Amino acid sequence: MVLEEEVQLPLDRQTVFQALNDPEILKQSIPGCEELNQLNDNEMEATVVVKFGPVKASFNSNVEIDPSQGPALFKLTGKGDAGVAGFANGGADVHLDENADGTLLKYTVNIDISGKLAQVGGRLIEGTTKRLARKFFENFESALLAKHT
Amino acid sequence: MSATAESVQERRAALKGLGTSRKRVEDARFTQGKGNYVDDIKLPDMLFGDFVRSQHAHARVKSIDTSAAIELPGVIAVLTAKDLEPLSLHWMPTLAGDKQMVLADGKVLFQGQEVAFVVAEDRYIAADAVDLVKVEYEELPVLVDPFKAELPDAPILREDIADEKEGAHGARRHPNHIFTWEQGDKAGTEAVIGEADVVAEEMVYYHRTHPCPMETCGSVASMDKVNGKLTLWGTFQAPHVVRTVASLLSGIAEHNIRVVSPDIGGGFGNKVGVYPGYVCSIVASIVTGQPVKWVEDRMENLSATAFARDYWMQGKIAATKEGKILGLWCHTTADHGAFDACADPTKYPAGFMSICTGSYDIPTAYLAVDGIYTNKAPGGVAYRCSFRVTEAAYFIERMIEVLAIKLNMDAAELRAKNFIRKDQFPYQSALGWEYDSGDYHTAWDKALDAVGYKQLRAEQAQQVEDFKAGKTRKLMGVGLCHFTEIVGAGPVKNCDILGMGMFDSCEIRIHPTGSALARLGTISQGQGHATTFAQILASEIGISADDITIEEGDTDTAPYGLGTYGSRSTPVAGAATAMAGRKIRAKAQMIAAYLLEVHDNDLEWEVDRFVVKGAPERFKTMKEIAYASYNQAIPGVEPGLEAVSYYDPPNMTYPFGAYICVMDIDVDTGEAGVRQFYALDDCGTRINPMIIEGQVHGGLTEALAIAMGQEIAYDELGNVKTGTLMDFFIPTSWETPNYQTDYTETPSPHHPIGAKGVGESPNVGGVPAFSNAVNDAFRAFGLTHTHMPHDHWRIWQTANKLGLHN
Repeated sequence: MVLEEEVQLPLDRQTVFQALNDPEILKQSIPGCEELNQLNDNEMEATVVVKFGPVKASFNSNVEIDPSQGPALFKLTGKGDAGVAGFANGGADVHLDENADGTLLKYTVNIDISGKLAQVGGRLIEGTTKRLARKFFENFESALLAKHT
Repeated sequence: MSATAESVQERRAALKGLGTSRKRVEDARFTQGKGNYVDDIKLPDMLFGDFVRSQHAHARVKSIDTSAAIELPGVIAVLTAKDLEPLSLHWMPTLAGDKQMVLADGKVLFQGQEVAFVVAEDRYIAADAVDLVKVEYEELPVLVDPFKAELPDAPILREDIADEKEGAHGARRHPNHIFTWEQGDKAGTEAVIGEADVVAEEMVYYHRTHPCPMETCGSVASMDKVNGKLTLWGTFQAPHVVRTVASLLSGIAEHNIRVVSPDIGGGFGNKVGVYPGYVCSIVASIVTGQPVKWVEDRMENLSATAFARDYWMQGKIAATKEGKILGLWCHTTADHGAFDACADPTKYPAGFMSICTGSYDIPTAYLAVDGIYTNKAPGGVAYRCSFRVTEAAYFIERMIEVLAIKLNMDAAELRAKNFIRKDQFPYQSALGWEYDSGDYHTAWDKALDAVGYKQLRAEQAQQVEDFKAGKTRKLMGVGLCHFTEIVGAGPVKNCDILGMGMFDSCEIRIHPTGSALARLGTISQGQGHATTFAQILASEIGISADDITIEEGDTDTAPYGLGTYGSRSTPVAGAATAMAGRKIRAKAQMIAAYLLEVHDNDLEWEVDRFVVKGAPERFKTMKEIAYASYNQAIPGVEPGLEAVSYYDPPNMTYPFGAYICVMDIDVDTGEAGVRQFYALDDCGTRINPMIIEGQVHGGLTEALAIAMGQEIAYDELGNVKTGTLMDFFIPTSWETPNYQTDYTETPSPHHPIGAKGVGESPNVGGVPAFSNAVNDAFRAFGLTHTHMPHDHWRIWQTANKLGLHN
């Protein structure tokens, strides 16, 4: 499944880009994030609880970030294991464009879900993923604004 | 004398024998919730098993950590392939000559595959423990498209047999290829197709679906370590076969195994196979010394136990300009999933797909079927049909429609022009079957008259005009189908399953007071055997059906039989019942002759008694004879009145029918409403018209489900997308139309009472009728064929592609 959306943030590009690399901000922003530990500069592990319709899944996730093309592009790939509930594989490309109002983030999320989650929640995955992505940027914005204002 | 004639009629009516719409004796307990199903069985100290299943369609299992699960209070054991390996039970043979993993041995090959078996004190603890088993997987590329199975970059699924060039059904040309099965005359058919005036071609896909019985599969195993006896209750459509297989697999002597099929809440083929749950519950009971119950949930049922269909049928049909069919060619790509677990007679890896010449006199034909492995659940069972007969019927009935379009001919006329004529029976088909009997033209004409076929076509033509003129947004389709089934497997000379000949049996005991007990090798799953077999017997032995108890399903008491599927109960066990009844009557005749002091030949049978010829006042009723058989010393005759018959049918039976469906389609929403459905069935002698009608209603409703929405769909990752009843279509009373049933009666010439079987006809004939109606609605706009299932979305897409939304 591929998801493409954009969000406008009233902050400059460098600030936004740094925040995307900041485990503290990420932890506050990821919906259902219970734990997030930085393993090294580019790797993190996280525990994220997500509800897809009737199935509540706790993902043990490994996330790798690629800031090498920053601040114009932030890349992320990840793998989540929710045991008997299923698995998720995916990634996101976030393009950061500076404009008069701050920064426009255009993101493309690519995600494959397998297992019981896909079976039971198949028809809910797209909606849930969209909702989670929006929620992420809402949280991200408030975390950033709290920090920078 | 009229008084006597009346009393004969009255006595006949009192028997409630053949032709009586006797109420189902089973229903008293079913309608009161007093049935006894597998899950109702509760034994002291019983444990519960639950599976850890694969979330991946194809992956290597790198490790299984059961330690956290074992530590959970109430968990007794967690079995993995490693625990089963010393017993050689980590793999098991399938009914199709392949083998299947009982628990994942190194890799998983489909989503939902059994990986570990948790045994706990109750099912909730078992379910919690399943969550605690940690399985580490390495994902592998997934193969879901059978047409990509032999491409150079295709992943090899079955590494265990990758190098084997010979399978159970001959040569294998690729590690993902299972068999090629060929029937008929290839060169001859290709020559006919090359030279014919008209050739129609189409790819006809009969999608993957699932029998989805109301009760899912399950078993309770109880190993008594004191006397060494294993008792196994389960949802088995073939309990005797399960006993033999269990004995061969476990090494427990067959007399120490008792298999019981209690009440079964629908089977439809799903409960023919042997599943890992059965094996694991047996092993767990042997290991723990306690009874172990396993019952799958709905998602497990839909995604892991046997599916049905999934045949890609490429067809070519050749005819003269006048519409006389000359030849039929078919190549089928059969998606069998990860293990070949089809439940077909051994010599028929594609079942009776070779009945695909249908009701037509087709002089030359050729059929090839390639079985292919994919990362999907195993199965390939006959879902309310004889082995692959519904695929065959759908194929030919779609090809006839496609040919009619090519010829620009009315499809009803094209059928009538090519039917096998009544005087051609017994008819030898080009693909090797001997059709026992039929009268297709009579049935067809009756069906066309009943629906007012000509008026329907006139109305349809008018509606097309109105649509084009913008006066309506609805179209109407007339779905025709004339099907011929092949059921009642089958003659032992060519039909066996794992070497076990497909006879069936009946054992009768007449009690001294003139009531009776009959036991059969079959097992009812809702068909009403306790009602109908008593009726067959009532007519044979003159004891009221109400005084006959029918028992099935307990291998310690019932005679050996191959079970109930493929509409074989009436053709095979029903014949055995009649034959056993005749043995009873033959002995009764000797006893009556002694009691009446006449010669055997001086007696004639009259409804419920032997009467001295020419002296109607001198007779002995079966009731009197029964009493005498036990209590009177009769020279040269053993006491008692019992008989056993094992019946090996000389041929299959060939029920047929003419179905017509009138459908209204909303072009803008894709909604399809069945306006009229007429179903004429010819199942030979009719045992219980009410039960036949019930069978037809049920079968048509399942046909509606399959044709109009029901499917097991996979995404490209091998996820089952239709694993719950939210996505898997089961019609309710809301979606179910009214059915109009009718019949003709052409008895089978080789069956003792002329019966042919009916339980599956409506599914076999119904699916093409519904699908043809959808296709026919768009014929005027250039549609030749569109694949099932015809849900609203797909119908809307069809309309959209034809430009009807512009």
